[in-house]
Amino acid sequence: MEERLEPNEMIIHLGPQHPMQPGPFRLNLRLKGETVVDADIELGYIHKGIEKILENKTYLQGITIVDRICYLVALVNEECFVGCVEKLLDIEPPERSKYIRVILEELTRIQSHLLGIGEFAEFIGFVSMFMYAIRERENVVGLIDMVTGARITHSYLKFGGVRDDLPDGFKEKTLSVLNGLKKEIDNFEQMFHTDRIYRERTVGVGVLTADAAKNLGVSGPVLRATGVPFDIRKNEPYLVYKDLDFKVCTETAGDCFARVQVRLNEIRESIYILEQCLDQIPEGPLFPENSLYGRRTPVMRVPAGEVFHRVEDPRGEMGMYMVSDGSDRPYRVKIRGPYYPTLQALPPLIIGTTVADVASISGSMDGCTSEADR
Amino acid sequence: MTVVIPDYIAPLIPWVRGIIGLVLIGAIFIAAMGAVWIERKLSADIQSRVGPCRVGKYGIFQLVADAIKLFTKEDIKPQNADSLLFNNANIFMIGSVFLVLVALPVGAVFINGVEYPLAVTEMDISVLYIEAVSALSIFGIFMVGYGSNSKYSLLGAFRNFARMVGYEVPLGISIISVAVMTGSLNIVDITSAQGLYWNIFLQPLGCFVFFVSLMADMGRLPFDQNESEEEIIAGWITEYSGMRFGLGFFAEYMHMVLGSFLVALLFLGGWNVPGFIANNSFLGLIAPTGFLLIKTIFVLMVIVGIRWVVPRFRIDQVVDLSWKKMFPLALLNLVWAVGLGLYLGA
Amino acid sequence: MVLKNIKYAIRNISRPPVTRMYPEKPSELSDRFRGLQILDKSKCIGCGICANTCPNAAIKIVKAPIGPGSEKQRWFPQIDIGHCLFCGLCIDQCPKGALSSGKEYTKGLVKWHHKDMLMTPEKLAREVDLEKGDER
Repeated sequence: MEERLEPNEMIIHLGPQHPMQPGPFRLNLRLKGETVVDADIELGYIHKGIEKILENKTYLQGITIVDRICYLVALVNEECFVGCVEKLLDIEPPERSKYIRVILEELTRIQSHLLGIGEFAEFIGFVSMFMYAIRERENVVGLIDMVTGARITHSYLKFGGVRDDLPDGFKEKTLSVLNGLKKEIDNFEQMFHTDRIYRERTVGVGVLTADAAKNLGVSGPVLRATGVPFDIRKNEPYLVYKDLDFKVCTETAGDCFARVQVRLNEIRESIYILEQCLDQIPEGPLFPENSLYGRRTPVMRVPAGEVFHRVEDPRGEMGMYMVSDGSDRPYRVKIRGPYYPTLQALPPLIIGTTVADVASISGSMDGCTSEADR
Repeated sequence: MTVVIPDYIAPLIPWVRGIIGLVLIGAIFIAAMGAVWIERKLSADIQSRVGPCRVGKYGIFQLVADAIKLFTKEDIKPQNADSLLFNNANIFMIGSVFLVLVALPVGAVFINGVEYPLAVTEMDISVLYIEAVSALSIFGIFMVGYGSNSKYSLLGAFRNFARMVGYEVPLGISIISVAVMTGSLNIVDITSAQGLYWNIFLQPLGCFVFFVSLMADMGRLPFDQNESEEEIIAGWITEYSGMRFGLGFFAEYMHMVLGSFLVALLFLGGWNVPGFIANNSFLGLIAPTGFLLIKTIFVLMVIVGIRWVVPRFRIDQVVDLSWKKMFPLALLNLVWAVGLGLYLGA
Repeated sequence: MVLKNIKYAIRNISRPPVTRMYPEKPSELSDRFRGLQILDKSKCIGCGICANTCPNAAIKIVKAPIGPGSEKQRWFPQIDIGHCLFCGLCIDQCPKGALSSGKEYTKGLVKWHHKDMLMTPEKLAREVDLEKGDER
């Protein structure tokens, strides 16, 4: 990209340190005046070597490591890992544990989408929206804190169940928080729809077509905003999603406005799922009967084999491919994160737009660079 | 309007005006500090936070602590920065503020029913002078942006030009429409002639155009593309550190305070008070200036509040707004003002 | 055009702020908050399962007296605060349930030197005060 710069072109780096990025990556832009002519992404600034670390830790210790792939949605990452190991061990958690896991993962989805909406509004200049979203998010994180004991890296799931039961008073508190959240989401949506400046900045900006998205392997709200109704909770249900009634939210426009709208609708669907779960949750044990697996995990020798398990992360499809050789440590864990393909869709979208749109488009992808680099 | 001055006071008038000028220079710094305090507290209220609260009660002296911090920072200059432009750009920005202070009246006193405006000079064309001199800060911003030898500053400086060129025209036309209706370019005359029928009721469209163009002129959100933090780090002032940054920052807030004064004087009735207060000997000394300050603070709070509740335009949308929407509205207002002036005069 | 934003902002001004004035008001911890571990010396058998389970190898098993001022010594865990993740795996894996979660997370835990960060079994059993219990 550096060869043959015309006289009125220049290269700037939206570099590893930038107020607008959710994590460090380097975006090289070749500008002609204010228009982007060429773009290029470099990753790797926050690579931690998680896949190599996992080869040297036992499966139980691996739960605390997998927590830290994307620290905002730690419970979904744990679910992917624990799901893989449970498939290899051929055990299944009882119904109550499955419902508790679904409740916590939907709460995680709500707080991640709130943060994504707030950050996007901040990138286009609407700073107060970030604070409004964070204020709502605090209540949701407080709920998760009440159950797991930590706000961010929980290490709450165990093989065959969960570590602790739901505390007393959880159901009433959750329902009151969710009722308040429903009104606030309606307020946010009205603010976005009636604000003329916001519509000018987002409608028609960064249009991604369905074919391009499918070719690149993009998934999650970015794909659903182009009109493709692909959601792993419906296509390959895991846990108790086949007993729950919810719909897949799609929009057809594929621009920034549609992506934010999909996230707002998904928050509403998650609230509906949570209300159903709190009604339907059965009493029962947290761990399977007649099994050594409990809150205290026994010495594990996982049978040799290979397995692939995928879950619906708030950012897309997350999958883990695990190879075990019969000992108490995995032989190889390959993690497929959802944000890496979405980031590859960014350079073709921003060619031809101005620098101001770069912030808008990359903010609407709602990424966590820590997950792209692992 | 002619003011009757007794003979024994006449030789002292230049000294009085000089002292008022020096006092104003000190006061404008304190007013800028007050404006920053209002901004931080108001934005904290909107966002459910507590603003500055530790230095002094309600955080009033927070700006003093910030100024001390800025003075003690290292003065960094980029390697290939143009020394002449880099060092002297701040002088243009502060200079344009002080030059505006020369002609701006900040109040009035009523002694025996006769009105004495508190201004350093009284020119016949003071409104034109104020507008022309406040546009000097464009040069300051461009010198900063170009002399820093950094790509982010360059982007900020170019966006600045596009914005300022577009908005000076509606600003000037709306000021002219007010002057046309009053029949004079002297800002003291315009303010006194309003009486109790403020110009905002006679020319609402003009007030709207003037307000939007003023916000674009000052570089406040939604028009602050030249310093948008999310795209080009800090825009035109990226390479400045320490008190150089502090001077640019203060100049922007002083400009904001002066802009609110202009709105209050031209459209909101200035220091006009009902007759019974003007004839009262004690209230006549403090009430008109007090009213002017209250109106200025109100306009300042509106300008500060709007920054935190709306997103930001893109630069091509800003230029589009100025030439295709503000300029025709300003011309329409001029036609309306001419018609209204003839009707009222007849 | 932007009226809904302004209306929402004005309504927000009347709501109280949500800032917590730390450190005058300490932050509220949930019931299950995982702070520094508490050791029950009567239940610990010195098996070392907690040291094997720790993901960061923060636990070492050392010899320590079984009570204040006692001569007899047994093997007890010692936790290095600089390496501990506060994940709680050691608490779950203990076969006798000798470890449990305390609520300390800053007071008495922030030290200058590394050797003060090694929480000896006396400190874990809360026999000495965390803030004042340094050898120097």
